[in-house]
Amino acid sequence: MTLSPAAIEVIPDEPPVNLWREAWRRLRRNRLAVAGLFVIAVLALAAVFGPMLTPYDFLSQDLDARNMGPTLAHWLGTDDLGRDVLSRVIYGARTAFIVAVVVTAIAVVLGVALGAVAGFIGGTLDRAIMWLTDVTMSVPNLLLVVVINASLKPPLAAWMDAQYQATLNPFFRNTVLVDFVLVFGSMALITWPPYARLVRAQVLSIRSRPYVTAARALGLPTITIMRRYVIPNALGPLIVSVSAGLGTAMVLESAFSFLGVGVNPPTPSWGNMIQDGLKVWQHYPHLLAAPALVLGLATVAFNFLGDGLNDALNPRGAK
Amino acid sequence: MLRYVANRFLLWIPSVLLVLLGVYALAFFGAGDPIKLIFLRAPGDVAYDPARIEAIRHTAGLDRPFIVQFGSYLWNLVHGNFGNSLNSGRSVWSMISAAAPVSFQLAVLAILLTALTAVPLGLIAALNQNKRLDYTILGSALFLWAIPPYVAGPLLMVAIITLVPHVSVPYGWGGILDVRIVLPLLVLSLQPIALIVRQTRAAVIEVLSEDFVRTARAKGVPEIVVALKHILRPVLTPVVTQLGLIMITIVNGAIFVELVFGLPGLGRLTVTALTNSDYPVILAITLIGSFLVMISNLLVDVLYPLLDPRAAQSFRAR
Repeated sequence: MTLSPAAIEVIPDEPPVNLWREAWRRLRRNRLAVAGLFVIAVLALAAVFGPMLTPYDFLSQDLDARNMGPTLAHWLGTDDLGRDVLSRVIYGARTAFIVAVVVTAIAVVLGVALGAVAGFIGGTLDRAIMWLTDVTMSVPNLLLVVVINASLKPPLAAWMDAQYQATLNPFFRNTVLVDFVLVFGSMALITWPPYARLVRAQVLSIRSRPYVTAARALGLPTITIMRRYVIPNALGPLIVSVSAGLGTAMVLESAFSFLGVGVNPPTPSWGNMIQDGLKVWQHYPHLLAAPALVLGLATVAFNFLGDGLNDALNPRGAK
Repeated sequence: MLRYVANRFLLWIPSVLLVLLGVYALAFFGAGDPIKLIFLRAPGDVAYDPARIEAIRHTAGLDRPFIVQFGSYLWNLVHGNFGNSLNSGRSVWSMISAAAPVSFQLAVLAILLTALTAVPLGLIAALNQNKRLDYTILGSALFLWAIPPYVAGPLLMVAIITLVPHVSVPYGWGGILDVRIVLPLLVLSLQPIALIVRQTRAAVIEVLSEDFVRTARAKGVPEIVVALKHILRPVLTPVVTQLGLIMITIVNGAIFVELVFGLPGLGRLTVTALTNSDYPVILAITLIGSFLVMISNLLVDVLYPLLDPRAAQSFRAR
């Protein structure tokens, strides 16, 4: 094995540019990771430009053409209400990406903050936070989210309704918002512990570095030291987890929609499309196969990319 | 050893108390009044008579403050009383003891299937590292790990029905000797198998470069004996430690598998309880789920020194 110069230069004093360029080069050589990246890019574009790409509105019903197999007019066929399946799959990508990105963002912010505090301050606070991660990770997480979702939805919806009655502000009539807020919140609540642990481990090794000691000696407040020196240097390994986390969040979202506690119809989600398809798959297998295949493809892509990133950013573990 | 197990159990109690408190609070403040929930489901004329609701609430002790009610729930729990289902009025314990055997048999079979297929596959992949066979096994494992059971289940069903003639729909439960168990078992095991294949492969590759493997090969021990006798044992240790994660995967997966294939187990009980906001059942299932995960983590800690005597040293020191 030959060491490339850039691999040796990974010491804190160097600007991180070389590391990233080297990692990108390694990533490009990994064919599976590139394929994953490509699939994710296509799906992301579909999610962003969905309304311009879909041949039909995801709600428009053509009752003369119900449960049709794939045709030229409807590439993936139509469902039991005559809605175009391709359009619904594309809008489902929107839901999936919104949920994945927002949930991961909340979980990462929460995890980084708690993990950094735990690692940097230590003591009782550290033990308390780590105990919390233990508890969260030792409960079957799916169950917890479903319980949170199912029990908070009625009161939140009632509260929104009361607000609407009081203010007549149409903002409070948006039931889709309730769904999304609950899904975001409950999912972020169970996905933060791994990030917190990762960041804590990083911070523990960083807090004894000379530049942190120097900042302490200069008399900077703890908050500033953490914000300016500790947290930015602890974020590197997080990239791999975030890539895997996006995929996990996407799967979780569809799992909840499948169980009927996630995003509610008529907002299209791969999960509730799979659930609908499950009822009629004996007669119309395409209604089940289309969303199931796309979801499978997306999760496989995120996993391949995650593994590729892992190898690219940790060259020592690769061989 | 016994002291260690007891210690771990004591440490588990505050965690599970926190979880129960959380779910109980959600039920108490979130889902609304259990009496009203019952009345809303009651037929016609009994529905909503405020005076009667108050009377029932008082006799059931549901007008007491939150913390008192939670305390009495715990008190009953300690005495083995899980309460009654809001929906059917049956005791939660009888519902769970009716459903648990199905899930339990399925889970044990899934773990057995995982151990019997994944470890050999991982070993074969590692022994053929970077050859076509390795890529095939590892690639399939990566692929299977990414596919959730509620996608794999339906797709397999579609495939079987359309490809194999004269096959009836694999729906329902007929015990572990029934043909219908094959598909749910397979779907439930796919993700654990994928996980263990990757673990085993990585562990074997690490062990392959150890001195004792080279020595064994150098003195002419047949390759199959090297694999089974010298490599497999140190490899089992990191694999066994994944039992907790496998347990979580199986508990989560069972919810979907039982729903898709119509098995009357704990998973389906969960879904029914959730759709009916049947909190006594949900609380009991949460308790059981986290107990299972705790037990499997404990089992890992107890098995570890048996598999790797080197770890026993530090184990005794604890």
